[in-house]
Amino acid sequence: MRILRRLSLPMFVFCVYALLYLPIIVLIIFSFNDSSATYQWGGFTLRWFGELFHSSEIWLVLKHSLIVAFSAVALSLLFGLMIVCSLKERLNRIASWFYIPLLVPEIVLAVGFLYLFSFLRVPLGLTTLIVAHTLLGLAFSVPLLHARFVEMNPDVIEASLDLGASKWQTFIRVVLPFLQPAVFSVALLVWMTSFDDFLISFFCTGSASQTLPLYIYARVHAGITPVINALSTFTLLVSFLLVIVYSWLRVKLEEVV
Amino acid sequence: MQRIREGFLYRLNYFLSFPALLWQVVFLWLPLMILIGASVYSRTHHFSLIFYKEILTAAHLRIILRSLSLAFFNACCCLVVSYPVAYFVAFHTRRWKNILVLLLTLPFWVNFLVHVYAWFFILERNGLVNSLLLSFGLIRTPLHLMNTLFSVALVMFQVYLPFMLLPLYVIFEKFDVRLIEASLDLGASWRQTFWQVMFPLTLSGARLGFFLVLGMSFGDYVTPQLLSGSKTLFVGTVISDYFILNRSFATGAAFMCVSALVLIGVMGACFVWLRAMAKGVK
Repeated sequence: MRILRRLSLPMFVFCVYALLYLPIIVLIIFSFNDSSATYQWGGFTLRWFGELFHSSEIWLVLKHSLIVAFSAVALSLLFGLMIVCSLKERLNRIASWFYIPLLVPEIVLAVGFLYLFSFLRVPLGLTTLIVAHTLLGLAFSVPLLHARFVEMNPDVIEASLDLGASKWQTFIRVVLPFLQPAVFSVALLVWMTSFDDFLISFFCTGSASQTLPLYIYARVHAGITPVINALSTFTLLVSFLLVIVYSWLRVKLEEVV
Repeated sequence: MQRIREGFLYRLNYFLSFPALLWQVVFLWLPLMILIGASVYSRTHHFSLIFYKEILTAAHLRIILRSLSLAFFNACCCLVVSYPVAYFVAFHTRRWKNILVLLLTLPFWVNFLVHVYAWFFILERNGLVNSLLLSFGLIRTPLHLMNTLFSVALVMFQVYLPFMLLPLYVIFEKFDVRLIEASLDLGASWRQTFWQVMFPLTLSGARLGFFLVLGMSFGDYVTPQLLSGSKTLFVGTVISDYFILNRSFATGAAFMCVSALVLIGVMGACFVWLRAMAKGVK
């Protein structure tokens, strides 16, 4: 009885972790299942992945997703660096304002974008999507870059300018290397936000410019198929690879510093 | 020296801050203003509350109430389940700690739709649960699991649980475990220790998680849309229907404002209530 009581908490924790991970694990396992019946195990296969990558649709939506994610990362980093370097301490007061897009419910943002774009008669497409994702991206880039920038010793910048470097050289050689860890974190966060975003994309894009989550959504509506399992496994793989690369980069950078 | 300081740090190139600020104003504040504005202007361009009158009906209020109670229930469930887990991971794991903490953060990197789809795979008519139960002979006909309130609640719980677990774990990590030992040593029961030591000191993490889960499940669109069928309406699905299907923006905006006000009101009440609970037991 005492053993049961001692074990009850670990058992409970184990169950919660199982609940968190079981659906995903089952999904991954069954994306390698060589049987078109959804639940019978028919042996290991990569058939569904082959089928997935042979459809031209998937490459198109993947291309869209990559374009949008890259542009959102680039724009939010660029604008973030610009505002951080120009306002410096003056940003203290308003840096937290940039968090607001993360606090407002996503559906409100999405509807707001839709309304604004139809108000201004802007046709929906990849551009509107990039614009929308950049707003979310700035919510990460401005506060994080600012937090890193204020940690920087101003004397270093002074020294650089004093020794004859131009402002641009100072930025590239002194400021940017110091900001590097924050730049990497921001890039990862914005990338993931953009790549995974469904709701805002759903409202902000036209039918000709679907992204990966939108494609999954459309297919899921039609019911479960092994190809969608493969697609889900593929997106999971991409995410986890990015996280691993990111952690590896961070360790490397810390070694250098 | 002064000249150099001015050179990079203090001569402000305000111009460079322009794009980020522009984005904030044009794509965040302007749409919100337009939405609020649209909800209070009638078709003849006068101030009127006609759209509010249109949506303040029993049916609409029932939808808000349904979403709200589901979100509240979900947030409470997450809170109750997360407490023991966060406590355990913070204090009772030695070798496994790093991996358990990593596993707490990993769900954040899983695509939301993939998460929901994974449940599709399990709950559908010929999904995993039904096929397992059928093959063991426990049931004869497949259970009806999809398109029920149960499936929506279950999936929301699972998808939003990490948003509660992580803040709670972070706050427990800062918590001094000796306080619990001291409390127990000095004769307090476990229940007293929880309510008088642990709960008040971990309140900030619990509150953050609670509000995150409450807000996100209240406005959720994907989960109800995919898992509740079209029979049961929720706030997120109704808003999107107004904007995408019916193209009646003003009514949708009014409905959104009312729902947002209700959510803010409930959050305020919860804030006061949680604080009172932590104070009352001291």
